[in-house]
Amino acid sequence: MTWFTEANTQQDIIDKAPTLAPTFKAFYDSFWQLSSAPPSLLELCRLRVAQLHQSDYQWQHQQIELSTEKRQSLSQWSKSAVYTDAEKACLAFTEVYCMDPQAITDAQAEAVKSELGDAGLVALIEALGLFYGMTRVSQLWGF
Amino acid sequence: MSNQPRVSANLSKTGNVVRDSALGLVTETVDPYLRFNHAIWHNGPLTAAEVELARLRNARKVNCVFCKAVRYDIAIEAGLDEAKVEQITDDFDQSELSQREKLILVYTDYYLQQPTAMTTEFKQRLTEEFSAAEIVHLSLAIMLCNCFSRCAVSLGGMPEEDLPRMQISVPE
Repeated sequence: MTWFTEANTQQDIIDKAPTLAPTFKAFYDSFWQLSSAPPSLLELCRLRVAQLHQSDYQWQHQQIELSTEKRQSLSQWSKSAVYTDAEKACLAFTEVYCMDPQAITDAQAEAVKSELGDAGLVALIEALGLFYGMTRVSQLWGF
Repeated sequence: MSNQPRVSANLSKTGNVVRDSALGLVTETVDPYLRFNHAIWHNGPLTAAEVELARLRNARKVNCVFCKAVRYDIAIEAGLDEAKVEQITDDFDQSELSQREKLILVYTDYYLQQPTAMTTEFKQRLTEEFSAAEIVHLSLAIMLCNCFSRCAVSLGGMPEEDLPRMQISVPE
């Protein structure tokens, strides 16, 4: 239950706007079927956004199953050997994106492009916007 | 901030501003995005003028030059004029905007700046003015506008100076 409705989950709250909920869900779901950015990579970035926002609600949510090691080492990803080069490039990009997208450097964008291509960079940026937004909305709603 | 675009769309020209942009490279998300965006602007419960208030507040805070220049015709038809737009500054609390409009801007600022910091008093004022469906609509609208203004900034190629005002329709 949150401060403006008795619904208990973010999705149940979104369902309170029935003229919007189905198109929102289709938009959100489309990110987990991309050819240019693997779901497991996006899930890592989603979880890093949750960590940076100190959002336990988003952290506890599991969109895609990851290894325990990858989840547990995430705050120390830059020093860990469990992440691929593509994952590290995307996590570095994620951290700057969350702080200030104007501070993203060309080198950080190129590092993502060298792993995922142009479409992968665009997909990551769109997905980060969605994860950042979902995290902030859940915090506004008291989760 | 990079003033060079970080990707080249290199797509066939369809005449659709979204499909022909870098967003068109991610083919799986384009149609779902356009349908969700359509719903945000056309399917209520908030008016397009109210959504535009939040969009422009976000545009100014994120400093997306393109987003700041755009005015959606549907919002103008719903009653948002430039006299109101000029009041979407950091001093909007002292403006002649209505209390409902000011609540929209304060909620947008909480999203942008500190989403965990909403006071009990503000939550009460919001629930007295807005239904649950309206609060969900406002939240999703802010999220969508913020997502794509940050996207525009992240993709590079943003002009350094403000652009002339552009009245356009919501992309379909």
